[in-house]
Amino acid sequence: MILLTSLGDGYVRRALLEVVIVGVLCGAVGVHVVLRRLSFLTTALTHATFPGVVIATLLGLGLVLGAGVFGVLLVAVVAALTGPRGAEHGRETTSVTAVVLSGGFALGMALMSTQEGFSRDLTAFLVGSVLTVQPSDLVVSAVTAAVVLGMLAALRKELHLAAFDPDALAAAGYPARRLDLVLLLALEATVVTSLPAVGTIMAVALIVGPAATARLWCSRTSTMTAVAIGVGVASGVIGLAVSEQWNVAAGGAIVLSVAAFFMTSLVLRSLPWGELAVAVVGRRKSAGRPTYSG
Amino acid sequence: MSRPAAIVFDQASIAYGRVPALEQVHGTVRRGEIVALVGPNGAGKSTLIKALLGLVPVASGSITVLGQAPAQARRLVAYVPQADTLDPDFPISVAQVVLMGRYRRIGWLRPPGRADRDAAAEALAAVGLAHRAADRFGTLSGGQRQRVLLARAIAAQPEALLLDEPFNGVDAVSQEALLDTIKTLAAGGAAVVVSTHDLGLAQLTCDGICLLNRHQFGFGPPADVLTPDLLRAAYGGAALELGDRGLIVARS
Amino acid sequence: MIDILVTPFDRPYMTRALVEALLLGALCGAVGVYVLLRRLAFLTDAVTHTVFPGVVVGFLVSGRSGIVPGALVCAVAAAALFTAIAATRRVNEDATLAVLLTAFFAVGVILISRQHSYTADLTAFLFGHVLTIDTTDIVVTAAVTVLAGLVLLGLGKELLLRAFDPEWARATGYRITALDLVSNMLIALVVVASVQAVGTVLVIAMLVVPAAAARLLSERLGVIVAVAVLVGMVGAWLGLATSYEASVGHDLRLAAGATIVLVLVAFYALVTLGQATRRLVRR
Repeated sequence: MILLTSLGDGYVRRALLEVVIVGVLCGAVGVHVVLRRLSFLTTALTHATFPGVVIATLLGLGLVLGAGVFGVLLVAVVAALTGPRGAEHGRETTSVTAVVLSGGFALGMALMSTQEGFSRDLTAFLVGSVLTVQPSDLVVSAVTAAVVLGMLAALRKELHLAAFDPDALAAAGYPARRLDLVLLLALEATVVTSLPAVGTIMAVALIVGPAATARLWCSRTSTMTAVAIGVGVASGVIGLAVSEQWNVAAGGAIVLSVAAFFMTSLVLRSLPWGELAVAVVGRRKSAGRPTYSG
Repeated sequence: MSRPAAIVFDQASIAYGRVPALEQVHGTVRRGEIVALVGPNGAGKSTLIKALLGLVPVASGSITVLGQAPAQARRLVAYVPQADTLDPDFPISVAQVVLMGRYRRIGWLRPPGRADRDAAAEALAAVGLAHRAADRFGTLSGGQRQRVLLARAIAAQPEALLLDEPFNGVDAVSQEALLDTIKTLAAGGAAVVVSTHDLGLAQLTCDGICLLNRHQFGFGPPADVLTPDLLRAAYGGAALELGDRGLIVARS
Repeated sequence: MIDILVTPFDRPYMTRALVEALLLGALCGAVGVYVLLRRLAFLTDAVTHTVFPGVVVGFLVSGRSGIVPGALVCAVAAAALFTAIAATRRVNEDATLAVLLTAFFAVGVILISRQHSYTADLTAFLFGHVLTIDTTDIVVTAAVTVLAGLVLLGLGKELLLRAFDPEWARATGYRITALDLVSNMLIALVVVASVQAVGTVLVIAMLVVPAAAARLLSERLGVIVAVAVLVGMVGAWLGLATSYEASVGHDLRLAAGATIVLVLVAFYALVTLGQATRRLVRR
């Protein structure tokens, strides 16, 4: 294992630390994304933060800062467009999400095309470059992870109720829309934090993949969260090791590790057992729909 | 003289995987008859309708629809789903929805013709909604949507009609219109199977009752099936005794 | 003003770009309405990403001429895979899509990361290059447009039924999975045809934005299709002209594909704003 022998290098140690932090964060947040079927929105957020990065580079600000500010803006736009009566006016969440996704990405590309010379940086940003993570990035990741995880722990029961039965949450007098907004902001923070490791386009795999894998094995949210975190960290470390061993892009290797975990679980769980058939029948009646309302 | 049989259940059992959903359904629906499927929630009423459409397999025994296996008889059978399962934002007009009933007759690749449009318009008029043809489906009330779905089924000119809880959350005017249309269709020789929660309605309007809760408790004329003993057996705790005045069934 | 819209297209390469963009605008507008009705935006996004490794392998094997065949193979495989996943109903479909789309994309990234011209190639694949389109590309796009037109005309009513009421479609004897395979293949073909011009990532915009804007303007399906096609074509034209004018007239280089999408998104934003103000005024 080249990963073990190269641990003496500072950059490899930093990369390892980074994938562990990001793995924990993505696993925990991903559980909510999977339970609420927000995968597409997550994809949109990852794509649409791209212009933030470009603007930050143009102004000479930090990439993460630019992406973060722009991400908050995006969350606000999606929330405003899909508000409580959005669907009545012909705007349902999926199409709004797609418009925001492509609009953001196109803006980033147009801005980028006006400049010359920094396509190197931005490519790293699109597909990730975990081996060049700086100590400052690590600090940002660690702080974000601590804040987001603390928030998820504090609002644990409210968020679970919101995922399971949003109507009951609103009926119980909780500010449902504000709670949705908090979750979206946590999601955005996670996306921005995982950018250095796997890049904008593949961050969604690290968020959704481990949680989706855990969902196949667990029926309780607490065990699901634990398994998701485990898979997230394991994928990061395995991906890094593969990348060091065969000299391929680290981001790609991490994503493929996640996919391998998921596909293996999927195949194992798809073996025809009677209990699954029952679960399928039960699920058909409660039409699966995104429970995102903000 | 009895009319020819349209739907025959012969000790039919239906299961999802290894888990039985409904067992031992036995009876006959004749042409021109309206038979109600009644029973508490989760009794297997929707399951039985799906089996009649060939969407879930029969595990043992058999179901025969118009002399064929259910999946083969689909072209002769029309189904009316619950209106609230459909997307109210979908940009489609009432006339377009009703025209869908003709699609199987039109066939692949061909556009609807004059005769199809006429049949659709006639079916819409039969449920009393001809004036709403150009409106978007989602702008109608729940009861009106249910009537549109019935019109779609009629447009297919079926020999058997299956309705899944058509009276749920439907206003009085729409309920009346639905019942009239169903009766007209039955008088024309179609066999009608309708699942419902409403025992009173079933007793008043149907020729036969199939009382279900996981298995069949009775199948026959309302007077024979809607008896306190059978209802108590099928509904269990949801049946309330009213002393000597009889028994009512609380909607579960 | 008219000059800006017409003169740039005197140049042969701009004429080719315009023809390609107009074809794509019409094609994506029409197919996009179905994507909107079925809420397949995420599936479309997944197909655009899964095409990426095909593009890379095709390019590595036989240069530019290998891109379309490579993309085609991958897109068809992806469309079949996604149809199968939807048919099993065993898993959370959108989570599966998310994992698969990124996994395919990651294969592409890993393959391309072994190349020397890593960055430049990646950028071209992701962002497209409508200005260097050649006649073969236009022929491919035209063929896909004709095919899509035939499918939408021939199977229009069945696809509409499947989108509106799948349970009823199944109850009347239609094979949902077969219809889904047809529509997913169609989306895959559109993605393949668009990859050269607008790149893998922006195809989704060409498909969704005109249809979404048209849906805001009308509730009638026929009108929505017509408006979506029109918006797609006009957006393509305006986008190309803007991009040309900015780079030649004002020395500000704007990527053509991205500009087309920005014009479309701006139109969507205008419609949304217009409707919001109208509601406010009425109140």
